[in-house]
Amino acid sequence: MENDDGRKFRELLQEWRVPGVPKSLDERVLGLRRPWWTFLLTGSIRIPVPVGVAVAGILLAMVGALFKQRTAEPVLGSVSLIDFRPVSDLHVRVIRKHASN
Amino acid sequence: MTDAEFREAYESHRDLLFRFACRMTGSAEAAEDVVHDCFLLLWRKKLVFDRKRGPLRSFLFGVTRNLALKRMGKDGSFDELAEDVAVGEPADPGNRERADMVAQAVAALPPLQREALILAEYEEMSLEQMVQLTGADLAAVKSRLHRARENLRRMLAPLMPPRGTAYGKR
Repeated sequence: MENDDGRKFRELLQEWRVPGVPKSLDERVLGLRRPWWTFLLTGSIRIPVPVGVAVAGILLAMVGALFKQRTAEPVLGSVSLIDFRPVSDLHVRVIRKHASN
Repeated sequence: MTDAEFREAYESHRDLLFRFACRMTGSAEAAEDVVHDCFLLLWRKKLVFDRKRGPLRSFLFGVTRNLALKRMGKDGSFDELAEDVAVGEPADPGNRERADMVAQAVAALPPLQREALILAEYEEMSLEQMVQLTGADLAAVKSRLHRARENLRRMLAPLMPPRGTAYGKR
């Protein structure tokens, strides 16, 4: 039969209780059974802040460059055709690829 | 292992394995990783359960145990050569909760002593079950358990009632 000290020692040990199974463990383990492509619909990834900032910076720079390129294109104004004269005498000359002068 | 068998295995054993891993590692976060890795190995068939070699419970317990010890080794807290060393000063009650002091005292035990104590005191395993689970011989298991109890009694002496056995002298 267990002595009194032994019983009290065991009772003392039993005062230490651990938390129950977290929900996140259920999700992680039961999530293993899903097909890989469901990750594309429901998954999430953790990105280190420096990487996130760098990626955001690159995207912003690309958008900025694209925008700048579009706005920098010269706008063609209207062209007057008042002095335009059609060609009166047209001689077509075919220049072949290896033709000499 | 089919999908339904895997789910059944997880739901039947998660509490037991998490509790054990939590006490072994001293951290709920680490325990979550350990139990997750155990079932990850099972699901990806990196480990094959053979019914002829014993019940699923023992198999999963063994895997969790190895992962927990491996993790403790990686953290630098597992030195098998230090198993014989008596550890721990008597706890200073101060304002701390008794449960916290018990947790800290168990965490201060060398890993194999801690394991023996957790299996015996918290999981209520018999010596034979502990031998089967740990792969150690009976004498080693008895010795680890004895040393664990002695070390704990010494550390927790301030929490025990004054009359009775003088802890640490048995």
